[in-house]
Amino acid sequence: MTETMTETTTEKSTDPSRDNDPANETEAPKMLLARMAEAVYWSGRYLERAECTARIVQVHTDAHVDMPIGEDVGWEPLLAIAGVDTEFGQRYPSVSGSEDRRAAEDDVVEFLLHGEDNPSSILAAVSAARENLRTARPVVPREAWEAGHNLWLNCSDYLDEAQSRKGRVQWLRRVIDGCQRINGILLGTMTRDEAMSFLTIGQNLERADLTSRVLDVRSENLHPQRGDDPYVEVHWMAVLRSLAAYQPFRRAMPARPQGGSTLRFLLQDDRFPRAVSACLTETRSQLKGLARSEEALDACADASMLVASAAVPRLTLGGLSEFLDEVQVALDEIHHQIDQTYFRPTFEGWQPQSAAT
Amino acid sequence: MSGRRSGPDAGQEAPAWPSYDPDGFYDELVGPGGVPRPAAEALWEHFADLGPGALNERQEAADREMRAIGVTFTVYEGSTGRDRPWPFDIIPRVMPSDQWHVIEAGLVQRLSALNLFIDDVYHDQRSVSSGIVPSELVTGSPNFRRECVGVDPPGGVWAHICGSDLIRDADGTVYVLEDNLRVPSGVSYLLENRIVAKHVFPELFRHYSIEPVDPYIGRLAGLLASVSPSTGDPTIMVLTPGVYNSAYFEHAFLAQQLGVELVEGGDLVVLDDDCVYARTIDGLQRVDVIYRRIDDLFLDPEVFRPDSMLGVPGLMRAWRSGRVALVNAPGAGIADDKKVYSYVPDLIRFFLDEEPILSTVSTLRCSDEESRRFVLDNLEKLVVKPANESGGYGVMVGPQATESELAEAAKEIESQPSRWVAQPVIPLSTAPTLCEGEIAPRHVDLRPFILFGPEGAYVTRGGLTRVARRAGSLVVNSSQGGGSKDTWVVGTTGAKVPNQPAASNESTASKESTASKEPAVPTHPDPDS
Repeated sequence: MTETMTETTTEKSTDPSRDNDPANETEAPKMLLARMAEAVYWSGRYLERAECTARIVQVHTDAHVDMPIGEDVGWEPLLAIAGVDTEFGQRYPSVSGSEDRRAAEDDVVEFLLHGEDNPSSILAAVSAARENLRTARPVVPREAWEAGHNLWLNCSDYLDEAQSRKGRVQWLRRVIDGCQRINGILLGTMTRDEAMSFLTIGQNLERADLTSRVLDVRSENLHPQRGDDPYVEVHWMAVLRSLAAYQPFRRAMPARPQGGSTLRFLLQDDRFPRAVSACLTETRSQLKGLARSEEALDACADASMLVASAAVPRLTLGGLSEFLDEVQVALDEIHHQIDQTYFRPTFEGWQPQSAAT
Repeated sequence: MSGRRSGPDAGQEAPAWPSYDPDGFYDELVGPGGVPRPAAEALWEHFADLGPGALNERQEAADREMRAIGVTFTVYEGSTGRDRPWPFDIIPRVMPSDQWHVIEAGLVQRLSALNLFIDDVYHDQRSVSSGIVPSELVTGSPNFRRECVGVDPPGGVWAHICGSDLIRDADGTVYVLEDNLRVPSGVSYLLENRIVAKHVFPELFRHYSIEPVDPYIGRLAGLLASVSPSTGDPTIMVLTPGVYNSAYFEHAFLAQQLGVELVEGGDLVVLDDDCVYARTIDGLQRVDVIYRRIDDLFLDPEVFRPDSMLGVPGLMRAWRSGRVALVNAPGAGIADDKKVYSYVPDLIRFFLDEEPILSTVSTLRCSDEESRRFVLDNLEKLVVKPANESGGYGVMVGPQATESELAEAAKEIESQPSRWVAQPVIPLSTAPTLCEGEIAPRHVDLRPFILFGPEGAYVTRGGLTRVARRAGSLVVNSSQGGGSKDTWVVGTTGAKVPNQPAASNESTASKESTASKEPAVPTHPDPDS
């Protein structure tokens, strides 16, 4: 049953200077191609984008049902969170701003789930995550690639089901479960190497970005003058839920969900993995393990300081949107530094004629 | 579970699938009179127990799994490629191991001789001066690479990885139809087929001694390391043309299985020290061995096609100076065209002083006047092939050609006789295949993979069986509707199912009096080219 090595009859002998003595084994040189690093980083970002967007749509559907007719905020905020209000306006010029909310719901949800002109749709994010995992196959566990591929198959196969509210809930559940499955596989089976660091950084930067966007858009609808309004609480509960933060918030904060406490939790609670500061802490710790990360670490420290410095109760009275814009700029800067340092590096010592490929 | 039949049908002597009739062709599983061959007895009986319904369910499960684990091949319609799930037929092809070991020895013998021939071509050309092959076969070939003259790759090995296409004639004789020494593909499908087959028929794997195919990856890793120019742990990479190549799935699969980087041309750079470096996140890192899946002519725009965007400028310079190993070496394709094919038995005798173990299909070179006359007189009975191509391109099948196609071929042969060779039509063997819910005979070939390095050789146990899924069709390549099968090399003790007699030996040369009614024609386009 065991394979045999057949002696060959080549005329030349092996180069005697070569040394393949197993006793001489050294650790394989650590190496990660710049292109692979970029692919795993974007795998992380797109997976997180798909999952977060799915959660946001999911929770909005639930919360929408709780709101009295006429009081709800409609479906447009979802477009703002995803950053695709302009694209949506181009796709559905007659619908935006329309009074007919039911039509808007179907269009908005379809656009967010799989709109063809929406580069940030859940399906587009899942598809991009799969493509990047495929490129990164050599550096991610086989199961992770398969899970990413399956998620994409499932999302495509069951697209029709997402038409109705009921089917939509199931479809979104598939996306969230599929993303969580990949996270589990990575956590349980992937070597903690540089590739894992880039994947984790990608996930955390995307997560921080989406948390800040959710806060930005949701705070626009805050009515401080109606502090006793029961719907304010419902509103903030929905915000927390859309970031899977409701139960953690309850355990961490004695207060009922209000603007100030919610903001503090989602911005500054270092123990909750979707809080902006926690994402930055994780990013920093991953960056520390990489060579040449000084500039990215500086950008990360700047962002952390900015978030820590937020005067939360006062921000709810004004200036929150401007502050969150600053946070997003700071997050972009970290991305920019990583991109320049690792994905598009210029190496010293390259002869110009050799580098011109 | 036991292979014994139970239920009301138990004890009946009727053949398992009365309707199964190979129609005069040699069948891989079923012998004359519908009696399963010894190595396939347990399998055949198990299928009868399962019945068509359960078999079809298992086929569906296999299709689902192939799709779920993302085993795909790319089909091009115009310029857009589309990923298709890999077509896999669950009924395995079974081959007794004693028969296989003869084939294995024959394949290693062949590749040994071919490597000696390639090395000779780029050095002394003793095979030419001794009159074994004509000089125009070498220097006149479009696959001869002047840039390779005088180069000494490690161990004198040029063709490290070979995929040979085997076919079986109506009398059971196995022939080598073609050697692929450039960038043969398909091994990933062979390995994935086995993974799925184990899930489809776990109970059979318990009762059969099926030789494993997995060791291929470890052997490949060892081979790649053994040709490294550096001391210490070598840095190995797989070089792919990119995600749009039809074999990209395999390139990614191999890199992942080997635990090495998958690079594109743009990831590599050759500096003035003639070393190859990869662009990593930590800077430039030296590369020792490149398992390249790019054709020669695209490897290095400095030397070959200047418009190639896939290659690495300076790669040939690095290889010639011995600072990087290329697997397979450039120039190896000189030994796999149709004209060289006809000389391989002579080359084996010349270089190894041995008689060829495996048969080759007799090949008439149209450059020879007597042969040409015979070919022209018998065109409608022969297969005419372009001499310098690898794969099934430009093949004219006499018995299936129209009058005008025959006339066209005759004209081509007369105007450029040296471009053409002709072979008799071989009736390809069949194997039972699930077709629309029924088991029916379909034509098959077999592509084993041979590894050949300075430290030894290894042949996959079995190979990738390709099957034409249309009745009577001889086209087995997947881009044209062909499927695949897992290939089981089973111990000569056969199936260890209670009440099963041990399988008797079956030799490669086993002859059976079967007259083929319709001639089958081997056409085997290479999936990589």
